[in-house]
Amino acid sequence: MKVMSGNEAVALAVKLARVGVVGIYPITPQTTIIEELAEMRARGELSADIVRVESEHSAMAVTLGAAVSGVRSFTATSSQGLLYMHEMVWWTSGSRAPLVMVVATRAVGAPWNIWNENTDFMSERDSGWIMAFASTPQEALDLTLQAFRISEDPRVFLPVMVGMDGFILSHTKTNVFIPSQEDVDNFIPPRRQPYVIDPETKESMGNIFPPIYYMKFRQSIHEAITNSEEVIKEVGREYNKISPLGDYGTLNVSYKLDDADYAVVTMGAWSLDAMEAVDKLRENGLNVGLYRVRYIRPWSEKEIRENLGDKRAILVVDRATSLGRGGPLYLELKSTLNIPIKGVVTGLGGVSVGKRDFYSLISRFVEEARYSEVGGVEWYYPGEVKEVELGTPRTAH
Amino acid sequence: MALGNNVALIVVAGCSSVIQGMGPKNSYGYPALNIAFAAGSAAASGMWRAFKQRNKDVTVVVWAGDGGTADIGFASLSGAAERNENFIYVCVDNEAYMNSGGQRSGSTPHGAVTPTTPEGKKENKKELLFLMLDHHVPYAATASVGYPHDLMDKLRRAKTIEGFRYLQVLTPDPYGWLFDPSRTAEVGKLAVQTCYWPLLEVVNGRVQVSNESLHCLRKETRRPLRDFLSVQGRYKRLNDQDYKELESYVDYTWDRILKLMRT
Repeated sequence: MKVMSGNEAVALAVKLARVGVVGIYPITPQTTIIEELAEMRARGELSADIVRVESEHSAMAVTLGAAVSGVRSFTATSSQGLLYMHEMVWWTSGSRAPLVMVVATRAVGAPWNIWNENTDFMSERDSGWIMAFASTPQEALDLTLQAFRISEDPRVFLPVMVGMDGFILSHTKTNVFIPSQEDVDNFIPPRRQPYVIDPETKESMGNIFPPIYYMKFRQSIHEAITNSEEVIKEVGREYNKISPLGDYGTLNVSYKLDDADYAVVTMGAWSLDAMEAVDKLRENGLNVGLYRVRYIRPWSEKEIRENLGDKRAILVVDRATSLGRGGPLYLELKSTLNIPIKGVVTGLGGVSVGKRDFYSLISRFVEEARYSEVGGVEWYYPGEVKEVELGTPRTAH
Repeated sequence: MALGNNVALIVVAGCSSVIQGMGPKNSYGYPALNIAFAAGSAAASGMWRAFKQRNKDVTVVVWAGDGGTADIGFASLSGAAERNENFIYVCVDNEAYMNSGGQRSGSTPHGAVTPTTPEGKKENKKELLFLMLDHHVPYAATASVGYPHDLMDKLRRAKTIEGFRYLQVLTPDPYGWLFDPSRTAEVGKLAVQTCYWPLLEVVNGRVQVSNESLHCLRKETRRPLRDFLSVQGRYKRLNDQDYKELESYVDYTWDRILKLMRT
């Protein structure tokens, strides 16, 4: 065990995974991952070649260029950086290039905002990547290590994106169990990938195909994502053997759900605050539980139906939003379950939401759900905000 | 051919993405990674390092048009050149976005009519070679398809050098420049003979003007620029002032080369 931040835990995972090439470009709050990797390289602890590129678009392109040429590669980014590399994010999954990227989440401008929000990460959910989201620095390390193995599994062969809450996880230090190098070497087999650029094979990638093959190719990615569920569980079970704290036998995590009438659904670090609120509510006689989404892609309809399908109603709390619609988790759950679902959008741009807020949100929700049909999306502001004045720039004064 | 074996290509968006034929193989005889416009130089940076990690002696070559080089791909090109990444960058310069229909690029010359400059381009061609030299690259050169042996010599030489190597090849485009396709090589020669397109090579800062361009060093021995311009339909709207502008552009280019030779 060692006390470390989420960013330090990720850098350590990259080292343990014996990555060959890392494309680096700084952006808050991800920066200390790549600084730590550069430090490790300077100290001679890391054999990876570090490419200090001039933009995130290039960071993803370097990482892709190395991956298709046969080497395990990694990059990390946040917010504007993720949006700037958006084109290459899609090119990477389209190339079926196994590689790993960590996203320390952050709000997207304008206006400028460096604080935590998950909208950047969630906006890539159509891009064809496997997408996992951590809730502790420990999980950031664990999911990053598992990401390399999942990505390079022949049943998957897709890039994997691991998200974690900016600052709240990236910069907060907790105890982290570190598996031994030997265990990790046994856990992650030597690199496997579908296509390798090599003068010996003269393989060509990315050139034009007739429409029907293009569409079949897209379908194969779709199926690889849906079929990856079993691979992820298998990899998780293997990982549990090298990490005594591991709970990776399922994609998502349930907490006190079995006998619960109502459930709250969350993702990421504040799930732990929500768990404390659940404990407190249960003490006060409310029969509630929590479901934490760990994998956005694949989206495990099966697990979700099994865990939430019998609930009277559920409350989905998103730290992200699809403007004009609602939180992405809320929208995904609406398309999965046929039970009353209410959505809450909160915590955007670093608005601080704690266990008291979860307590009041959940208790109010249960009260509503008992006596009426719940639904729709609420924009929630924490307790100290008494009144919110909304206005367009034209009407604001 | 001139590049020999053990080569991997990166082809950025452009005509070359199409003419290689349909996947999964291509007609180039080399493995190729096709990639989006702005990503060529960065992908090459990752690729050569991957080959190094695998202990493989492979020359990585980026093949890009002037749009992918001068404009949308310039940031990643500049980044890779400044980092002295170990690959060859070939800019196939046909002086417009030819694959999307010939619209003006940063490399289109003054006066040229294109679908987006129907009145003729008002600005001068971007000085890519000089820009690359300002990145302190170990090798930068120009060539023309009018002189294929010179082009092959330069590719061969580039292959023996380590670090970032830049080669810009003028490739007259009959459909964009508006001349009969049978005259492509001739137009490529005229560009050099009229000194519009200088052939030279800069190895570690040392400038060597190629034989085909030696006559350009003195103004009096240059062939009149009109011989190059008059064979192309894209200059049909050229007035006397435009002509003077282009002539002074040629003078300026050669003055700069002469200055480089003296330093």
